[in-house]
Amino acid sequence: MSQQGRWKHLYKVMSKPGPYCDDDWVPGSDTIDTLESSKILVIGAGGLGCEILKNLALSGFKDIHVIDMDTIDISNLNRQFLFRQADIGKPKAEVAAAFVEKRVKGVKITPFVGKIQDKDEDYYMQFKIIICGLDSIEARRWINATLIGMVDPENPESLKPLIDGGTEGFKGQARVILPTLSSCIECQLDMHAPRPAVPLCTIATIPRQPQHCIEWAHQIAWQDKRKDDTFDSDDMEHISWVYHAALERAQQFHIHGVTFQMTQGVVKNIIPAIASTNAVIAASTTSEVLKIATGCNPYLENYMMYAGEEGVYTYTFEAEKKPDCPVCGNLARKMDVDPDMTLGDFIESLGERAEAQLKKPSMRTEEKTLYQRFPPQLEEHTRPNLRLKLRELVENGEEIAVSDPAYTIDFRYRLVFK
Amino acid sequence: MLKIWSMKQQQAQAENAEGAAGKKKKKVTAAQLRVQRDLQELTLGNTMKMTFPNPDDILNFTLTIEPDEGMYKGGVFNFSFAVNQNFPHDPPKVKCTQKIYHPNIDLDGNVCLNILREDWKPVLNLNAVIVGMQFLFLEPNASDPLNKDAADDLRTNREGFKRNVRSSMAGGSVRGVSFERVLR
Amino acid sequence: MTESFPAALTGPTSKERKYDRQLRLWAATGQQALEDSRVLLVNSDGPLGANSTGVSGVVGVEALKNLVLPGIGGFTIVDPATVTESDLGVNFFLEEESLGKSRAEETCRLLRELNPDVQGYYYSKHITELLHDPDFLPRHKLVIITGPTNRSSLGSLTQQAQRLGIPVLYVHSVGFYSTFSLQLDAEFPIVETHPDPETTQDLRLLNPWPELADAATAFGDLTAMDDHKHGHVPYILLLLHFLEQWKQSHGGNPPSSYKEKTEFREFVRSNARTDNPEGGEENFDEAVAAVLKTISPFSLRSSTREIFEMEQCKQLTPQSADFWVIASAINTFYNTHGVLPLPGSLPDMKAQSADYVALQNIYKSKARRDVEEVTSTIRQLESQLGQATPQILEREIEVFCKNAAHIKVIHGRAVPQISSDSDLTTLKAIRNQLNMEDSLISVFIATQVLDAVVDEIQSSGQQEAQLSVDDEALWTSHTERILALLSRDQPVPLDVDVRGAIANAIMELRRAEGGELHNISSLTGGLVAQEALKVLTRQYVPLDNTCVFDGARSRSEMYRL
Repeated sequence: MSQQGRWKHLYKVMSKPGPYCDDDWVPGSDTIDTLESSKILVIGAGGLGCEILKNLALSGFKDIHVIDMDTIDISNLNRQFLFRQADIGKPKAEVAAAFVEKRVKGVKITPFVGKIQDKDEDYYMQFKIIICGLDSIEARRWINATLIGMVDPENPESLKPLIDGGTEGFKGQARVILPTLSSCIECQLDMHAPRPAVPLCTIATIPRQPQHCIEWAHQIAWQDKRKDDTFDSDDMEHISWVYHAALERAQQFHIHGVTFQMTQGVVKNIIPAIASTNAVIAASTTSEVLKIATGCNPYLENYMMYAGEEGVYTYTFEAEKKPDCPVCGNLARKMDVDPDMTLGDFIESLGERAEAQLKKPSMRTEEKTLYQRFPPQLEEHTRPNLRLKLRELVENGEEIAVSDPAYTIDFRYRLVFK
Repeated sequence: MLKIWSMKQQQAQAENAEGAAGKKKKKVTAAQLRVQRDLQELTLGNTMKMTFPNPDDILNFTLTIEPDEGMYKGGVFNFSFAVNQNFPHDPPKVKCTQKIYHPNIDLDGNVCLNILREDWKPVLNLNAVIVGMQFLFLEPNASDPLNKDAADDLRTNREGFKRNVRSSMAGGSVRGVSFERVLR
Repeated sequence: MTESFPAALTGPTSKERKYDRQLRLWAATGQQALEDSRVLLVNSDGPLGANSTGVSGVVGVEALKNLVLPGIGGFTIVDPATVTESDLGVNFFLEEESLGKSRAEETCRLLRELNPDVQGYYYSKHITELLHDPDFLPRHKLVIITGPTNRSSLGSLTQQAQRLGIPVLYVHSVGFYSTFSLQLDAEFPIVETHPDPETTQDLRLLNPWPELADAATAFGDLTAMDDHKHGHVPYILLLLHFLEQWKQSHGGNPPSSYKEKTEFREFVRSNARTDNPEGGEENFDEAVAAVLKTISPFSLRSSTREIFEMEQCKQLTPQSADFWVIASAINTFYNTHGVLPLPGSLPDMKAQSADYVALQNIYKSKARRDVEEVTSTIRQLESQLGQATPQILEREIEVFCKNAAHIKVIHGRAVPQISSDSDLTTLKAIRNQLNMEDSLISVFIATQVLDAVVDEIQSSGQQEAQLSVDDEALWTSHTERILALLSRDQPVPLDVDVRGAIANAIMELRRAEGGELHNISSLTGGLVAQEALKVLTRQYVPLDNTCVFDGARSRSEMYRL
């Protein structure tokens, strides 16, 4: 079968300039080659991930990797269309990869069953673009910080565009993040408010809502009665126990409305999810991947939100980069140091540096607390470090983070030995 | 963007080898950095101290409160703090490691303090939490309790409550529940 | 109390588990409506021109995917095409082995794999052949048509659907662009619109019914309460209490202007106790925060008023739909009481458990009594209309009463077109949009030109082989014709910028030569399915009536054309 025949529609768009392309964009075989040789990483093989894998494969990408640590659950089947009843219990990444490979000939999809944190910078460095369909803020923040940390101004290949999608019910958003160049996930954190929590004392003594009774059963009764069992929200027996305990408490306070479904929703923090919203958001992220990889049209700058409860509403805007963002607002600067200098002398030298003038800094590496001025217990512990040589405390090229009460922002330096 | 990449690609290749060698190390996480700053800005006074089982791990520590006034004067109370990597988006998890008689702390050590849960905001810092904890011992709050019996005592019989506090701190029992000795 | 507690554990069925994440949105009633629906997809209607096999129809298949997964009852695919190589590069529901086979059959087969609960049917025929059978269309609750489709088959299909009251979605996905229009009945009512919960609170603080007013006086002297009690009086009762005090010193009038309300808010705040360990009281904080939101007289939303004033509501007939009978009864309720039936829900608030539950019961039982009153009006109406037995279910009345303030009627319109016999309203709406900077209406115009080009190719019969969908002359002549239609009878011709925007849209559209990009079709299939779900479940608010998505610039817009 001919590539030309199979990819007719795609190749046509890649072979003609459009009114919105850059003036110097070169359509044709070079662009198509670039597309087909771009290695893409998909994080998450769930509701968004299944769609993303399909979309990338049918956008002409040939080398796709996918990471997911989860296994398939029955409640995935209403939207995660690469999975069937018989797949329940199997790892999502493997089943999804195998399905798309089989359906779309010529695409290679490499699954990894595990956590994104299991992989290091070398792993992420091999991809051209990273696309994220996650339901956890924590994982998003991790990959965001990792990709920002990887940017090396001397190596353009180290800048990995991150395309992120998320949904909740009929709503969702797609965003494009160019690490260190544009607003990052951390800059935008306050746009996604966490669910309001109920005061613990309400749960403990004055419940009013069925949810309060469920929280009591989950957080207080379980700890009281079944301390030795680790609560597992996927264990039906555990959920049933919580449901019963919640029902009993609700009865005692004459509160109506505790149901099994609500119990599951509260303890698992379930977010409603449907196929159609996932399709919209996943396809907008993959459309951006295609545009960035080929330059065939301008990419999203940088945020599109979608709401489908009332008609079709989207809002596209540019989220701003926060100058004081704790992740992209203070990138590590390279600093040449004498490895035989003591930490104490090093700290003193920081006070003399024109741009910093750090008079009372505390500092650490990822592994070690180098020197912490307060509280006294830590100061005492770390004081002996002041007499040690830098080479005894940090490795060549390692990053240190410095805080000083005189500044509202923190500093990061990558120490390179002279 | 592609253009920038391809232009710089060759020029960067040479430096790449050198760059990669020094690039494996882990970066200080946002949570660590924030805790480093928060610790530096603490005001502990002489009624509180902190201990770090592993000084290199500043995300896990114990706070000891020794109230010098109020009904809990003379006691030594320990709280474990566990800060996760999602801090300051998530609040620190705080638990009392002793079994004590207090309207806002239950027998499992859970603490009812609004800023540890419903009112937590990333702009709050560890100092705000510590101040709040200290306040719980100066002014136990009976109106929204975790330990309902203790709260009822405080509300209905303040003197009786004080006696219960004294005896519980000495390791005695209140209404058949025995408490840990926490006197200095 | 008539409600009883569920006795034993009733764990979810495997169907409930499979559909759990969507049942949390549209509940069992929405799910049932889906399961009772069969959707028709008309996926192509002949070749687009020389060297073309016709519409690839990916957008239609992707839309069906998003309907099969949540479990519609069934679907029918009508598509005379056979599978070609180029289909495999863009359609996920075809495989290597499908080459040369019926595309309707193959896509049907692979879509059915997604959900064993869904029935799938296919016809490798032109839709016009099937429309000869008068029973064919009525089997379906919704029709999705993927364009471009020639004018005559589109016309007979949409007209027949309109007569039968079957909604139609007409969809284009070409290159980086997509557009779709939803054709609904002239009146398409929705009860469960799922408004933002914040907007649905109706607490009646300015006109409490006797039981609520009594509750506010029953707690007695606030100043004599101990701190614990004082700090746990539900804020609703606090506000009612202080409103009475305010009225006594303000000639019997509640605070009405913004200034008065802020004064009242300060008055409430000044009554909080601050000499306690917390330095304030949460229930008073809640009361203070609620003043501006809740101290307002009841007012009927204009959308509800319009519904009450519609002929269908005023002139019931034995054929009137349940919606109008209930709406009419609720209008009677409104005329009698000056308010709508009470929804009956109460927000959570600082309070002792028993006090909260008691207050909740006051709201619930008032809501129940309102439902009873509306029900008895409905039963009278039913007998006046000559219906021997009660028709309308209690449950339906209850849901309506709960949502009465947010009901909606969409005035459906036909699938919009730009042609010499276009509806003037459509042309006017398009012209208005043309004056908006950055409007995406130019994309809609471009797809209209494409439709016209394809229509000419398809109706040119034998010459078909010579004409191509990329024929410059065809595009130029149809573009000029459509621009002329848009400026007909207008004092000024279209300005240069507008023509430039349309030219750009046409240039971008023509990059694909009528072909689809999978991403754009998948995204549009999601949007189309979302509208289908809303129409089929009669929940949430569907599109009125046209949406344009521009994948080149990652934006969308809605128009009423």
